[in-house]
Amino acid sequence: MSGERAMRDWYAPLEIYTLSSWLRAAFIVNLFLLSFDFLRGEGLVLSLLGILMLGLLVNTLPDGSASWRRDVSLLLSGGIIAIGVLSVLSEPIGFVLWMESWLIVPGAISLYWISSPHVSRWNREEMELDRIERGLARNNEYSSSYQRIGKHVILAHFAFIVLLPVLWIIDISLSPGNALGGSFADSFTTEHFSKILNGDQFWIWMTNSLIVSIGTTIAGLALAVPAAYAFSRYKFAGRDQAMFSFLLVQMFPGIIIIVPYFMVMKTLGLLNSHLGLILAYSVTALPLCVWMLKGFFDTVPRELEESALLDGCSRFEIFTRIILPLSLPAIAVTALFSFLAAWNEFLLALTFNTSNDMYTLPVGLASMISATGQSWGDFAAASLLVSLPVVILFVLFQKFLVEGLSAGGVKG
Amino acid sequence: MVSVRYEKVTKRYDDGTEAVKNLDLEVADGEFLVLLGPSGCGKSTTLRMLAGLEDISEGDIRIDNARINDLPPGARGLGMVFQSYALYPHMNIEENLSFGLKRMKGEEKIGVEEIKSRVDNMAKMLGLSEELTKRPKELSGGQRQRVALGRALIKRPKVLLMDEPLSNLDAELRHQMRGEIRRLHEELGCTTIYVTHDQIEAMTLADRIAILDKGELQQHCPPMEAYRNPANEFVEGFLVKHLNDIKETADSLFKD
Repeated sequence: MSGERAMRDWYAPLEIYTLSSWLRAAFIVNLFLLSFDFLRGEGLVLSLLGILMLGLLVNTLPDGSASWRRDVSLLLSGGIIAIGVLSVLSEPIGFVLWMESWLIVPGAISLYWISSPHVSRWNREEMELDRIERGLARNNEYSSSYQRIGKHVILAHFAFIVLLPVLWIIDISLSPGNALGGSFADSFTTEHFSKILNGDQFWIWMTNSLIVSIGTTIAGLALAVPAAYAFSRYKFAGRDQAMFSFLLVQMFPGIIIIVPYFMVMKTLGLLNSHLGLILAYSVTALPLCVWMLKGFFDTVPRELEESALLDGCSRFEIFTRIILPLSLPAIAVTALFSFLAAWNEFLLALTFNTSNDMYTLPVGLASMISATGQSWGDFAAASLLVSLPVVILFVLFQKFLVEGLSAGGVKG
Repeated sequence: MVSVRYEKVTKRYDDGTEAVKNLDLEVADGEFLVLLGPSGCGKSTTLRMLAGLEDISEGDIRIDNARINDLPPGARGLGMVFQSYALYPHMNIEENLSFGLKRMKGEEKIGVEEIKSRVDNMAKMLGLSEELTKRPKELSGGQRQRVALGRALIKRPKVLLMDEPLSNLDAELRHQMRGEIRRLHEELGCTTIYVTHDQIEAMTLADRIAILDKGELQQHCPPMEAYRNPANEFVEGFLVKHLNDIKETADSLFKD
């Protein structure tokens, strides 16, 4: 008998299990969406009410003994749907429709599921033992996939929010004219892309950016790798102070060194040159690179080097044959970071290189939006083209990135 | 004749602590010497000074009467097995074994074919012939330790150094490897210095043991003699009492 009692006590239909987790998730998403209402300055009261009712509903889901819970939940579900519909009617634009679907859909699902005969029988404790058994088996079989559906719906929404700006830029770059507005995907043209790609300027900027970024990566690594190795392995006077001073430099906002930088570059005659930017970027990227690489070198066991020493390696051979091959992932990540930093940098490039021929891509992009005209379509197309190499790099380096970022986490 | 001699060797660190004090010790040709002592007693430092991984503050270390204080580690003709195996993770087993051979210089330089045959022989001897193309992380702990042993032996070192080589293995494997190390030693007759804090390992492996405490040599003699005639209270407590405890425990377990 106690077995039957336990079954009755523990059994809840799959619908109720699923509802309780889906509704919780919907509750949290609605809390986020509330901030949109707040920013729009409208519909706040309705949304608050909806969220309140969602919260109540989660706590009044039928539990198999008190039948009043079922009635209250049904009532609340209906109320939630009504609120969603009301606020959509009060302002029927697409965005609100999306937002309120987070009230309407959960409400409808819970209304449908809670009113199903299966749940009613369970709720009135009229369920036969063999059906409970079958129900338990069904829970076992389906509950994880139901949970997964809920998770993916939520993740898809967040992914959509993140992608929205990108989608918008793609839309602008493919729409005729140079306006920012317009509805989504209403017409199609490649005029902006062909204009950018056939013009000389873009390619000049691209070349400049490539030279500067690759130069920075090479120069930065050539300095950072040996420096990091020394910091990691040798004890010398002022080591800790030097490491700390690296961090100190990072703490200042970049803009306060622009003027001194400009003076130095002017004195050296490096304004409007690639070398000037490469030097400046390498110096900026160096602290981060050194710290990252030192962290990695620290995880390479000393015994490996001692073993190589006994195998007859010189210090330099140890570095090239043991340390470098082992730290390729970390070096790749560091290289990527310094490349990206140089590729995206705007302020120094704008200050040092004032002639149009020496613009890097970010500066060139900015120059497309001037007081005399805003060609947003061209701008969007160019932005996409600028981010393309970065995307390609990330795809190529993906394996290394994961390895490098998690390097040292697991003892191999 | 390969013999190792420590003459009044002292290791002093920058902060003034003395890890090894005025050590006199000699290891005869073909002997298996175990350096035994609690952690922090200076036994690893003693070994690492011989290997050239630590500077010698005072005194001399001689191999075959030649003073080796200032020779670089690679030139001392030693092979070493580390506690953590220290295999090169980015090379396969064959490359791990041949790495040291390829770095030999001058008269000792070895041809490609000789390297290959030595690697094959060593792999056969250690039962690793099937694993030559694998990376270290694909091997089990015991196999890794065997590769480390092979890498040290393949250079035909004058002296084989082992720094707690079995500490990372489980009890079963440790027992098995202990037998294998002793068997290899008898086959190759290579002068061996072995560091451990495990009394059983010391008693079963050693021709002679050197017991150290706080950087000072306590007793240097064959293992059974140390057990029967401990030189002082420390040896009595660390070795004799410990072994008797084990014996008592085992006896009481099997009494019924």
